[in-house]
Amino acid sequence: MKRGLAIIVAVFMLIGLLAGCSGEQKADAEKTKDGKVVVDFWTFWGSETRRPIIEKIIDDYNNSQDKVFVKHTFLPWGDIWTKNLASVAAGNPADVIINDINTVAQRAENKQVEDLSQYIDDSFKQKFYPHLWETVEYEGKSFAVPFNTDTRLLFYNKTAFKEAGLDPEKPPATWAELEEYAKKLDVKDGDRYERVGFYPLWGSVGASSWMTNADSGKGFIEDGELTINTPKKVEALNWILDWKERLGENTVQAFQAEFGSEQANPFIAGKVAMWVDVGTFYTQLRDYGQDVDFGVAPIPANEEGSGNWSEGGGFVVEIPKGAKHPEEAMDFIKYLTDVEAQKYWSVKNYDNVANIEAAEAALNELEGPDKMVYEASVKNLDQTKMFPVPVEYPDYHSRLNPHIDNALLGKTSPEKALEEAEEDIEKMKK
Amino acid sequence: MKSSDSTLVHTETGSKVIRERQTAEAARTKGLSRKAKDNLAGYLFISPWIIGFLGLTLGPLLFSLAASFTDYNITSKMNFIGLENYKRMFTMDDLFRTSLFNTLYYVIFSVPLTTAGAILLAVLLNQKIKGMKFFRTIYYLPAVLSGVAVYFLWMQLLSPSTGLVNTMLGWFGIDGPAWLFDPEWTKPALLLMKMWSVGGGMLLYLAIMQGVSPQMYEAADIEGASPWQKFYHITLPMISPIIFFDVITSTIGAFQIFQEAYVMTENGSGGPGNSLLFYNLHMWNNAFEVFNMGYASAMAWLLFIIVMILTAVNMKLGKRWVHYEGGDGK
Repeated sequence: MKRGLAIIVAVFMLIGLLAGCSGEQKADAEKTKDGKVVVDFWTFWGSETRRPIIEKIIDDYNNSQDKVFVKHTFLPWGDIWTKNLASVAAGNPADVIINDINTVAQRAENKQVEDLSQYIDDSFKQKFYPHLWETVEYEGKSFAVPFNTDTRLLFYNKTAFKEAGLDPEKPPATWAELEEYAKKLDVKDGDRYERVGFYPLWGSVGASSWMTNADSGKGFIEDGELTINTPKKVEALNWILDWKERLGENTVQAFQAEFGSEQANPFIAGKVAMWVDVGTFYTQLRDYGQDVDFGVAPIPANEEGSGNWSEGGGFVVEIPKGAKHPEEAMDFIKYLTDVEAQKYWSVKNYDNVANIEAAEAALNELEGPDKMVYEASVKNLDQTKMFPVPVEYPDYHSRLNPHIDNALLGKTSPEKALEEAEEDIEKMKK
Repeated sequence: MKSSDSTLVHTETGSKVIRERQTAEAARTKGLSRKAKDNLAGYLFISPWIIGFLGLTLGPLLFSLAASFTDYNITSKMNFIGLENYKRMFTMDDLFRTSLFNTLYYVIFSVPLTTAGAILLAVLLNQKIKGMKFFRTIYYLPAVLSGVAVYFLWMQLLSPSTGLVNTMLGWFGIDGPAWLFDPEWTKPALLLMKMWSVGGGMLLYLAIMQGVSPQMYEAADIEGASPWQKFYHITLPMISPIIFFDVITSTIGAFQIFQEAYVMTENGSGGPGNSLLFYNLHMWNNAFEVFNMGYASAMAWLLFIIVMILTAVNMKLGKRWVHYEGGDGK
């Protein structure tokens, strides 16, 4: 009797296990009760600020028609894309996903995304900023639709400007001016810095940003040619090293380590007077820095007329390869990237959206400092460069960055570092 | 008559024998089937594990072995390219060398340090002093806390100017290094962090130390042995099976270091200057950042081979110093 029971229990366990393996796909109903096609939409926007915004857009879409029902699935940053990859390989991906703007070509090349060309005509393309649309094209086809982007601006503390005898309405326009202003803005107590005027590697900006800014917006790989070891890029690295030398390694590290936590942003706390960051940095200023009187300006140009080049990133919407309902998915993508949804996203987040008309319409709805920062960021898109990763050099960043690190750590000279980086990357060409 | 009688008797005995034999056989078949039933139940009970093992472990294992000879990129390609991946590791991939060096560095320092640390701690916590339970609990506590939160905590502790570690060094007039910001100090920083969580190993040592018979120590006391002699000649041999176990598992664990570097370096890059680019991190980047799953599989198999060889060496060497109580070690 006992043995019989044991066998029955064991059999049930076995059935349970097998059911566990195959259950999910069927449990995921493809249609709602009232016959709408369910489109699964994956994003990493789960924060208190972003989630209600994207969900409002989804609700609006769901209410706007009776054929498609979009279901929002939140996956944490870092997980979303590996999970997507696994689900594409398993043949059961989401229908729509938010993905990185600079690596669309990689995914197209590796057949991880659907070709959207059949749904897209020229009039649709023209709705978007051209530098963003370029990133979604690969071999003459479109594999995604741009959703949002960013650009870097110089935030400066007007109160500190006044204290230092600088005109708060006249932010630095060139690197030389930036240096001159920074020195005036430094506040020292003996050897210790109480306020640092500026340091190029703090904020949402890195050495590579300055290198491309110096090089008139030229990236590291242009049209398949390596443009890493250029005189202007060497100059930029040397320039960063000069800053480091002037402030001293200890000051730099001491300040830097404190920002790690982001609890107390040093610009907001008044410890740094000029700060490069993306437009949405404004939300932090608004929420935690009510008393900070600040201005925004484009990143200073290397020299007069060389351009205020900024690096840009962002996200696209795409349909993973093998998605079950591409047509319905595309219908939703069109809604998501159209004026109304994009305007809403923009007004709520001060984020730079990809749809030109929406970006401009958002401007009319904002006022005061909201408008000031947002307007500056939209204007700056003209001088923002995207750096899509070329298919032939899929992980060139991982080769380049250590060389830049070594140069900045003083282990090697900028000339040598960039020369070696270029050689290394040349070698890995696919 | 007699003869027929005897025949009858004979036949009777014969049939009795046959009958007995039959019952015995019946009993035996019944017994066999009972055993078979038991076996069946047993197999059914472990079948979830067997199916899990075949489907979720052995299957992927063999698949990755096959993939290591291809240019598999997860979604579109899987062409046989022979030993190309393995060749690339040794001839073209500088980062492979860097990552292997970083990993070996970590293994070589972390295994002896954590083992010695855990033993030392266990010895200290094995004293009969009031309130020892409290100390045992707090020293074990770090082993309970989960990974990522701990790494964030350590990033604060190791912060160059405001972190507790450098502040404490400052009390002794030592100007602490920049830890996670200085490529020369990143690996020592991870070792320091690792030392903090030796509580898991400590618990094992403590358990076996408590099992060492007190008579041995009493005997040693009578002989006038010093504390160190008692430790070296009694405690150490008695706990050697656990040391052996600990060394093997922590070597394997140290080779697999990944999370620390992934969480604690910017964007999981393994920086600054690739000083924390560990083998598994490089493998992960290859697999999921640039979709070179074939190459990553080859790396995984090479690591498997390295760990296998090292474990075999450990096993071989282990015979020389591991003491098994009440047995010959076989």
